[in-house]
Amino acid sequence: MASQEPWQMENGNLKGSSKEIKHGRTAHNMSSSSLRKKSDLSLVNKVPCGLVRQLLANLQEVILGTKLSVLFPAIPLAIVAQYYGFAGPWIFGLSLLGLTPLAERLGFLTEQIAYYTGPTVGGLLNATCGNATELIIAIFALSKNKILVVKYSLLGSVLSNLLLVLGTSLFCGGIYNLRKEQKYDRKQSDINSLLLLLGLLCHMLPLMFRYAANPSGAALIADSTLSLSRAGSIVMLVAYLAYLVFQLWTHRQLFEAPEDGDDDTVSSDEEPVIGFWSSVVWLILMTAIIALLSEFVVGTIEVASESWGISVTFISIILLPIVGNAAEHAGAVIFAFKNKLDISLGVALGSATQIAMFVVPLCVLVAWIMGIRMDLDFSLLETSSLALAIIVTAFTLQDGSSHYMKGLVLLLCYVVIGACFFVSKTTPDQGNGITPGIKLPTEGVVSA
Amino acid sequence: MDSQEVWNLENGEVKGLSNKDGPHLIRNAHTMSSSSLRKRSDPMLLPKVRCRVLRQFLNNLQEVILGTKLCLLFPAIPLAVLAKCYQFGRPWIFALSLMGLTPLAERVSFLTEQIAYFTGPTVGGLLNATCGNATELIIALFALHQKKILVLKYSLLGSILSNLLLVLGTSLLFGGLANLKKEQLYDRKQADVNSLLLLLGLLCHVLPLMFKYAAWTDTFTAISTLQFSRASSILMLTTYVAYLIFQLKTHRQLFESQEEDEDGDDEKALIGFWSAFSWLVGMTVIIALLSEYVVGTIEAASDSWGVSVSFISIILLPIVGNAAEHAGSIIFAFKNKLDISLGVALGSATQISMFVVPLCVIVAWIMGVAMDLDFSLLETGSLAFAIIITAFALQDGTSHYMKGVVLSLCYIVIAACFFVHKNPSIHQSTTDSLRVVQSSTGVLTA
Repeated sequence: MASQEPWQMENGNLKGSSKEIKHGRTAHNMSSSSLRKKSDLSLVNKVPCGLVRQLLANLQEVILGTKLSVLFPAIPLAIVAQYYGFAGPWIFGLSLLGLTPLAERLGFLTEQIAYYTGPTVGGLLNATCGNATELIIAIFALSKNKILVVKYSLLGSVLSNLLLVLGTSLFCGGIYNLRKEQKYDRKQSDINSLLLLLGLLCHMLPLMFRYAANPSGAALIADSTLSLSRAGSIVMLVAYLAYLVFQLWTHRQLFEAPEDGDDDTVSSDEEPVIGFWSSVVWLILMTAIIALLSEFVVGTIEVASESWGISVTFISIILLPIVGNAAEHAGAVIFAFKNKLDISLGVALGSATQIAMFVVPLCVLVAWIMGIRMDLDFSLLETSSLALAIIVTAFTLQDGSSHYMKGLVLLLCYVVIGACFFVSKTTPDQGNGITPGIKLPTEGVVSA
Repeated sequence: MDSQEVWNLENGEVKGLSNKDGPHLIRNAHTMSSSSLRKRSDPMLLPKVRCRVLRQFLNNLQEVILGTKLCLLFPAIPLAVLAKCYQFGRPWIFALSLMGLTPLAERVSFLTEQIAYFTGPTVGGLLNATCGNATELIIALFALHQKKILVLKYSLLGSILSNLLLVLGTSLLFGGLANLKKEQLYDRKQADVNSLLLLLGLLCHVLPLMFKYAAWTDTFTAISTLQFSRASSILMLTTYVAYLIFQLKTHRQLFESQEEDEDGDDEKALIGFWSAFSWLVGMTVIIALLSEYVVGTIEAASDSWGVSVSFISIILLPIVGNAAEHAGSIIFAFKNKLDISLGVALGSATQISMFVVPLCVIVAWIMGVAMDLDFSLLETGSLAFAIIITAFALQDGTSHYMKGVVLSLCYIVIAACFFVHKNPSIHQSTTDSLRVVQSSTGVLTA
């Protein structure tokens, strides 16, 4: 039985055909595999009926196959809370807790499907579904016309990947490997930084539109910003497409994770553990549950914000992404402990690039189709945080080596940005100079 | 006869001339790039003409007028003059003048190269440095003369953007696609020096811009901006002189292209010194004429075509002015000679940023026109971003096509931005400020 073979490999018997099954050993796959639990199928084997046994094995693999499975009970609790009219903050909190393991399972299922479809399609699947949680939350917020929640949750996701995930990985990895030299291939981080800079340009130009002394009327400015944002989104999607071609076809040797001999935890994943069609079925099921929980989250975000006394901006930029990225975060830190920085960087940077260059422009285009006016103008404070995060990260990663101070600096940058949004109680439509003149409202701050 | 020797060299017989003696070519990026657009003159028809002087004259003419693949655009020049004299639609004059400027820019650099054979490498390098962007300089001076300060500022800014993003981006993109299997390396020292100079230029642009946002009175701001701009222009010119010393004297080994024997046919000058000189003067006069047409008809063309003047100045004019360098840069990227492509693109951007722009400020000072270095928020922001992203892309010494894709897409986004941005100073429109505040609030809560 297929499940016996992984067990044998874990016990040290290397299979001879391991290297021929090339299943796109990307950073995401390897990172998420670190959260897997080894399935103990001894209980299941006692069940006499073959079909029930397979079903139970399947169930055990999928539901209990991760260390995060303790959070699974939050899902039914959240549904119960919604239908029995519990307080909004409870629904919000439980839904958030329930989303965490679901995001991880989605990554696992995508990887299983990738075994059957080959590396290229698997890579593509990973590229599109890797941030499915953020995408679904964003689309629900769009449908409820909560444009700011969309913008800030996506922005927060980029910030969290660039500063929090990367910072904690470099920090923990650096502390743990104090005596060793920590190196990584800078070509991968270079191309990601370049793409992030292109995305930043597409955000900064609409922002500068607002501040350029342009007395042609606010309606015209808004229309110009919108058309520029939509054009910029198409450009960003073209760039992302070119990046996929680059990553999966012409220059894939830059992105392959290094083959190591001591990787016996990873070689156990050489064979898929569940079948193709059951993976697809589970994928659809889990996506439906994620959609349900996301709807709860987006619906109760204001109530939770008022009840807990923190702004919606803070929840969108800081809390939501921490939840959505929890699995990737844990994986990146674990691989940094093992001094495999290429994988940690691949996870963090790849996720940030995917959100900045794929999810954000996709939302703008979906909003265009739905007739909603979403643009790429993320207002001054948020865009400057993004700009600084990208520049600091690009600068930090440019020399190909790492130590714990780099991680500490990135982490502290994230803490400062978090503090900034925590104290910023102004809602965005008050805080950023609407007056058509040139003077920004800085005098009040300077003279305080 | 000279043309016979050229023909012999083209057919593979290497002459015994070494590189040390005689007037030899300054083999820098510009000369090698523009040589890719040359056509080899076929001297077979000429020996049939009897009179010797006439023969030399016709040879000269053929070399200069027909010596480039861009010579197809030469008929646009008399057409433009005709259009102006017979009062055709102004957009026609504009377009024809633009098309006529393209081959002229290339011929000027050819003539500069020929003169450089006779004057030696240093003066030749200096000539190249000053005349390399002659078209942009002449257009700028005419715009200054007609007091169109914004056209002037934006055409120079657009030229820098075009060199940094468009020329460099397309070169890296096509070079990367053509050389997918090979490793593409270049010497990053040259890119580093150029990036540093561009950052200095950027600082001189950003500071006057920030004057506007510091809480000062309007008149004080205007005076400070002007004084600061003039002072920093002198500084920028000084830095440019230092860069020339660096490039042509103390560290010239960083900038020399590799010696290749396929370019051996350019070892001798093709036309004499005085004929090159007189052709240069003649072509400069024609460029001046066409530039005057361009600057004079830019608003009419903008109204007629429905695009803003800032879009024409920032995007269209530089594409025309840089067309020859652009083509040469791409051709050398195909041959995996990235040092030359980078030398062309970055060198041109540095030249405009650190030489042409401050020169215009000083000339405006002399003429009593108030031109400063404040290029307003959107344009300076685009410039800052272009410099930063180019410096970042070039800092590791290797290249692949994704870098070219990103740089080209940056240019497209900036072009889209200026396409939708209607410049208020040129298209006057009235607004009700109260209405602006109200509708902005309405927009933001959408």
